[in-house]
This record gives sequence, structure tokens and C-alpha cells, in this order.
Amino acid sequence: MELQAAKAETLPSSLVWRFTPLTLLLVISLIYPWIVSPLWIRLGTEVLMWAGLAQSWNIIGGYTGYLCFGHGAFFGVGAYITGLMMINLGLPFGLGLLVSGILASLLALIIGYPTLRLRGAYFAIATWAFGEMIRQIATILDFTGGAFGLQMPSYLNLPYFYYVMLLVTGLTYLTTFLLLERARFGYKLLAIREHEEAAEMVGVNTVAIKNWAFALSAFFPGVLGGVYAYWVTYIHPDSVLGAQITDFMVVMAFLGGIGSLWGPFLGAIVVQLVQRVLWLFWGAGTFYLVIIGAAICAVVLFIPNGIIGLRETRIFHPREAISQLRKRIKW
Amino acid sequence: MELFLQTIIDGLLIGGLIIIVGIGFSLCFGVMHIVDFAVGEWVMLGAYAGYLMVRYFGHDPMIYLPVIFLIFCALGWMIYPLIFRAVSGKGHNPVIMGLVFTFGLSILMKGGALSVWGYHIQSITTWLSGKGISFGVLTVPALRVSGFAFGILVTLLFMLFLYKTKFGIIIRATAQDRDTANLLGADVRKVGALVYSLYAGVTGMSGVLIGALFSIHASMGTKYATLAFFVVVLAGMGYVPGVLVAALVLGLLQSFVTVYIGGRYTLAALFLVMYGVLLITPKGILKRGI
Repeated sequence: MELQAAKAETLPSSLVWRFTPLTLLLVISLIYPWIVSPLWIRLGTEVLMWAGLAQSWNIIGGYTGYLCFGHGAFFGVGAYITGLMMINLGLPFGLGLLVSGILASLLALIIGYPTLRLRGAYFAIATWAFGEMIRQIATILDFTGGAFGLQMPSYLNLPYFYYVMLLVTGLTYLTTFLLLERARFGYKLLAIREHEEAAEMVGVNTVAIKNWAFALSAFFPGVLGGVYAYWVTYIHPDSVLGAQITDFMVVMAFLGGIGSLWGPFLGAIVVQLVQRVLWLFWGAGTFYLVIIGAAICAVVLFIPNGIIGLRETRIFHPREAISQLRKRIKW
Repeated sequence: MELFLQTIIDGLLIGGLIIIVGIGFSLCFGVMHIVDFAVGEWVMLGAYAGYLMVRYFGHDPMIYLPVIFLIFCALGWMIYPLIFRAVSGKGHNPVIMGLVFTFGLSILMKGGALSVWGYHIQSITTWLSGKGISFGVLTVPALRVSGFAFGILVTLLFMLFLYKTKFGIIIRATAQDRDTANLLGADVRKVGALVYSLYAGVTGMSGVLIGALFSIHASMGTKYATLAFFVVVLAGMGYVPGVLVAALVLGLLQSFVTVYIGGRYTLAALFLVMYGVLLITPKGILKRGI
């Protein structure tokens, strides 16, 4: 009896503990554009975009265990489709975004079926080749503007894009939470990641599940690409299809911790802020690449679970932290 | 007809050079199952090493090739423990950890080179630069011929090492079955270190030749990484003799597309073929990969 009463008492408080940070985060992100300068609105929008992109990579790379090194292609395809539809067909922005997301998913379904048969390094190289191929095609074709790219109608309203980005990224996280953390779909993906044959043996339709996960993970980059295109108003193959888009998605997801809900978010904040702050104070140098490269190597060597994995090591207890550190650095 | 012959010869000569980049990379995958994303950066560092040596000590870059080979072997030997640690972590897919670690390494190397040497484009001049060798109606640059000859020579030496020496037998045994080789007394960790340092040495050395033939800049790595990946995919990942065939196919494809279709289609064609080969025969065109 007493135990039950205690449970009933602690439940609401644990719920409060659980939702307080989330509510705070939501409130801060909603009032953010009203309390900071335009430069920081831009930075905030960038961080949100990368958080969404890193999470969408995490769906296929982290939860399913298929390292996609061509995910930037979906971002670029989304940006081009939104751009082309707004310029040539005069479609409204929102509809353009939706169509971009759906077409990016469709593309993922089409290429996913043959490509997802490959595993490990083969899948990584095949998707990388695919991503680069899309970039080359965008450079060759005429209606995409070739190497010069597309000039979109400009709409200078920073808070507007901040809120659109917030909405899309919020939806990315909500979808990931509902479908991958709270539904059977997520468990099936984890089963595929841990042991694909075993998953198939216990009755998971691995081919279908993998393809749906790939399509889902391509939807959000498509939409975010569309938002990005209208936001910066000028896109060209190197800016939206370049290898650096995929690189940063992978880096952020890994730094934060793959296969977790909040890892990519943390990774995006850290990487984007470090990069921008270095850029603001030291000018447009390239030294940030050294820091990012060293950070990735260090993460793989010392904290393979990413920043989010530090939670389990109780790094905030000084004595514990020192002994942990000793253990980790020991060769 | 003349153009056709010239295209074939150009393609073969380029292919000969790419063999050197691909061969170490393929062995590295075959033995350790590591896809080294930093392959292009090793080429770039090799090219800069050659450039700096010529600048500070003078003489012809060709005589520094053995020195650069040794320096890069040492570098590879020093970096290998880190890679071994990255791929042998428990509870994680080693292939993925290796990929991400070498990816970080490549960003680090590229960023370091950009920070130190900037965006300036450099070049190396050798005693062969600007000379030509004529075969009947055709004239080809002497440097390319020597690059091709060097590529073939390095491949032959590599093959002799792999198939005729005791070390080579141990390496091949490890590539075939890691655990059995370990049981029979091969120190798998040392074999890995040897292979990685050989790979770094050979790739760094190829950088000097590539630097002498083309230009040197900090972001040149991506292009050669593309070519190395292409060669290894076509050859069948981990199948070293296939590199010879695949590199020549690559050279021919590149020069034919450039001459007969247009320069801007070259890369698109390369990636299309690479993607197609991976989908249709993931073990390479010779079906001998792992």
C-alpha cells in the first residue's frame, strides 16, 4: 500500500522533471527571435536546420545502422525542386516544401531498393557515389541553371524563416520520437542494426522496413532543403549538393551520439556554434576544419557513444570523472 | 584514327599512375577491412612533401621518392595504433568506426594543409617536364610515360612482396581469414600496422608523381580519393591484382568520355559507372572481391 502511494506521489514529479526541460526549450526557441540581434537569428536558423538534417541522417545511419554518405543529395534535390516550382510554376512556398519532401522520399524509395541490399562499407561508398552523381547531373543540366544555379525571388524576413525552420525541425524530432522511440517500427530498425539475419528470422520484413526508414529519412532533408533555398535565395550545385552537407550531417550526429533522440541536436549546436564563433572571431579561416577533424577522431577514440553517452559515465561527479578519464586514456 | 590512338594512350598512361594510389588502398581494405577516407589526403601530403623537399634541398623530386616512401611509412606506422583502437572498440560496428575515424582524419589533414599552405596552387618541375617521347605519329609527355612505368614497377614490386616473401604470405593469410591466421601465429595487429604503413608510404610516393604531373593544392585530395574509390570498387574491394585492370579501365573511360562526349560529363560518368558496378556486381568486374 505504502509503496503504491509513494509511486502515485512520485509519478507527477517525475513527469514534471521530464517535461520541464522540454517546455523550457520550447519557450526559449519560440521567443528567441524577439530577444536577439538579426545575426543571432540567422545563427539560430542555421543551428535548427542542421539539427533537423543531423536527425534525419540519424534515422538511417544511427537507428538502422546503414551509413549513408550521400544524404546531402536529398537536401539538394529538395532545394532545387522548391526553387524550380516557385520560379517556373509560381507555386506557393508551403506546397513547394511538401512536394519537395515527397519527391525526395520517392527518390529514396527508388534508389533504396537496389542500394539497401549492400551493407557496411559497400553501402557507404554506393550512396556516396550516388550523391556525387546527383551533384554532377545538376551541374550538367540546363533547367537547373548548371554550375551557376538558381536565383529565387527574395523574401527578407528572418523571423519567418526561423519559425519555418523551427516547425520543420520540430516535426523531425516529433516524428523520430513517435515512430522510432515509441513504436514497433523503431524496435524493428534497432533489430536490423544489431543483427539483420536474426531480425529476418524472427519475422521482421527487413527489406520493407529498411526502405521505409530510408524514405522517411529522406523526407525531412527534402523539406529543409526547400526552406534553405527560399531563405538564402540563391542556390548552386556546390552550396546545396556539395559533399560538405553530408559530411556535416555525419559529423554532428556522431559528435552528439548516434541512435539517440537528442544526440544529433547537441551535435548540431556544438559544431555549428564552434564553427561560427571561430569564423566570427578569427575571420574566414580554415582552422575550424582542424578542430572539427580532431574532435571526430577524439569522439571515435574516447567517447564512441557521443556527447549524449557522457550522461552514463557520471562525468559530473569529480572523482568518478577522473577515474573514468584515467580508464579511457589508458592506452 | 590519330585522335583515337592518342585517347587510348592518354587513358592508359593516366591509369598507370592511378594504380599506385589504388593498390595500397585495396590491400588496406583486404587485410583490415578499413575503408580509408583519408586516401586523397595522403596523396596531397605526399605531393606537398615532394614540393617542400625540392624547395629546401633542390635537386630533382624523383630522387626523393625513396625518402618520401620511408617518411610516410613511419607516419602510417605511428597513426595505425589509433585506427586499431578505433576499430576494436566493443559494442560498435568496426567498419563504421573505421570509416568515421578516417573521415575525421581526412578533415583534419585537409584543414591542416589549408591552414598552413592556404589556397595557393604549387607545382613541381622535374628534368622530364616539358619533354616528349614520340611513337611514330604520336607524341606523349615523357613525364606521363615515366609515371606509367613507375606505376607498373611499383605494382610488380608489390606483387613480388605479396606473393614471394614470408611477410607477403602472412599478409595474404590474414586477408583470407583473420582468426585462423591469428591462431597459426600471425600477429594480426603487427600485420595491420605493416600494411597500413606500406599503404601510406606507397600512396605518399604517388603524390609526388601526381604533383609533378598536375598541380598541388590543399584540396586536391578529393579528386584522387574519388579515383581510388572507383578503382577499388571496379577491381573488387580487397582484390589487389584487379587494381591493375580497373585502373586502366578508369583511365580509358576518363579519356574517352572527355574526348568524345565532353569534359563536363567525365565525373558524372565515373560516378554512374561506380554506382552501377556496386549495384550489379558488388564484388567488382572480375568478381574476385571480398
